[in-house]
Amino acid sequence: MELTNHFPALIMAVLLGISFLSPILYRWARKASAPALITSLSLALVMAIYLLFQVLQVGEFTYYMGGWPPPYGIEFRLDLIRVYMLLVVLAVSLWIMVYALKDLEHELKTEVMGWYYTLYALVVGSMAGIALTNDLFNLFVLMEICAISACAIISVKEDRACLEASFKYLILSAMGTGCFLLGVAMIYMVTGQMNYDLVNAALPEAVELYPNNMFAASALFIVAFGTKAALFPLHVWLPDAHASAPSPSSAMLSGLVIKIYAFALFIMFYQLFPRPLLESIPLNEILLWLASMGIMFGSIFAMVQVDLKKMLAYSSIGQIGYVFLGIGLDDTIAITGGFYHLLVHAIMKSMLFMCAGVIIYSTGIRQIKQLGGIGQVLPITMFAFTIGSASMIGIPGTGGLISKWYLALGALEIGRPIFVVIILASSLLNAVYYMPIIVNAFMQQEQFEYQVKPVPRQMLIPLFVGVAALVFLGVFSRPFIVLLENAVQLLF
Amino acid sequence: MEMLIKIAHNYYYMVAILLFIIGMHTMLTHSNLIKKVIAMNIMDTSVFLLFVAIGYTSGGAAPILTAPANEVLYVNPLPGSLMLTGIVVAVSITAYALSLVVKIYRYYGTVDYDEICLIRSQE
Repeated sequence: MELTNHFPALIMAVLLGISFLSPILYRWARKASAPALITSLSLALVMAIYLLFQVLQVGEFTYYMGGWPPPYGIEFRLDLIRVYMLLVVLAVSLWIMVYALKDLEHELKTEVMGWYYTLYALVVGSMAGIALTNDLFNLFVLMEICAISACAIISVKEDRACLEASFKYLILSAMGTGCFLLGVAMIYMVTGQMNYDLVNAALPEAVELYPNNMFAASALFIVAFGTKAALFPLHVWLPDAHASAPSPSSAMLSGLVIKIYAFALFIMFYQLFPRPLLESIPLNEILLWLASMGIMFGSIFAMVQVDLKKMLAYSSIGQIGYVFLGIGLDDTIAITGGFYHLLVHAIMKSMLFMCAGVIIYSTGIRQIKQLGGIGQVLPITMFAFTIGSASMIGIPGTGGLISKWYLALGALEIGRPIFVVIILASSLLNAVYYMPIIVNAFMQQEQFEYQVKPVPRQMLIPLFVGVAALVFLGVFSRPFIVLLENAVQLLF
Repeated sequence: MEMLIKIAHNYYYMVAILLFIIGMHTMLTHSNLIKKVIAMNIMDTSVFLLFVAIGYTSGGAAPILTAPANEVLYVNPLPGSLMLTGIVVAVSITAYALSLVVKIYRYYGTVDYDEICLIRSQE
């Protein structure tokens, strides 16, 4: 028995294990609790990198939980696209945690810090599970774990706005999981299986016999994942939840949690549903138009916001639209672009929320119009904000351009130039609400009139890492694109 | 007519879907937070009901193997065991939602969502 064979399970075991240990450590050995969390996140990341090399060498493989093969046991499947998602989740969450250690001290009461680590590890662990799992019911359980702990990292702050926002989030995500479970019931009814591969094998025959079941199931899945990933008309919970949460939680929720559900929907489309079904129901078409509307309206709503974090939250609704656009276009290049955007947006939106967190930490300001001249007192933060915004708009040299470029190429390749227009228009809209902040921050002549607390170095270093990553993704995108293209080609 | 006969034969599915819709509608439209939590439970329970109904075979015995499987008709045990997990998940969500309602009541002095919105808009 070799340890390396069990890495897929160990990644989750390490994260869920530390989530149980954190409160105990925080009570009995307070100094060790934060390093323990960082160590386990890094350990999980190292294991994920090992898995990536393994997948690159031997191709995709499966892991049976407890040694029970399907249909009885739960199966984890490791192919390139899932390991990519796993890496994004683990790397970005480790990066956010480094920043969070300092920022949380002033946003949370000291006695709940240990519990925050618990919730954080649970979110990351469940997302790692969602990325790898190959079993419908396991996916449901992990989605519920992720939903509860994602709500809890908002409500842990315990002020009026947070509680109300997290209750709204909880109710809507409960609706999402309810719809998902009903969809699973519809599928189980006609196939008698829970494992993706077995369902996929049984579905073509089942669709012939009971087409209505599959129509209902696919509609329910779109509602379920759409609610959780804030697809346009189902996004109402997102702005309040992401804006009122503590900044590290906002970064986590906007950067990763909404993406993992988009990824889960992608896996449903390409590994669970057989191709003829996808072609007989216009699922992709529905996704495309909802995504396009999300891209436009998310940006339009963001323009009228006065609160900085709320503006960033609305911008997330637009940006998740790009990922769905990639999925909906149903073309190798477009999906590559969508998934590249998933990584780029995870980094840039997390970084922008971190910048907002630094601004709130240092000056206590949340209103956009009070930010005039802040570039003189917080130059490093506003530099990071500028790079993040540039990437949002898609200025050359940043990662945002590459993903939009590939999305547009994909749209052209399948002959739908209207979506290129939408991508261009939304870039323009992004510029309309990001540029004034930057211009005001740096160009305003008057002195910045609010009190400024010095920012600890531990909060600034993650910003540097983010800037470096965005520029790196913008300049050296080739290896990632090749990796993603290979990954996506395997699914067709 | 054929449709009606089909529905009459599968009435338990219809009951489950009806409960699901009642739950979802109440959850999304009622302004009382406690009622929202109750409706969430109705919605979850309807799906559990549907799952257990899927696994049932009329005249089937409890799935405890006493004779070889091909001689006696057994009820499918898998949906039942899955729904046990589902119930645990629903309980934990309910517990968390209720704890949130308690905290919200402490801050706002009401569990009515419309009143909370009113209080928030006056701030």
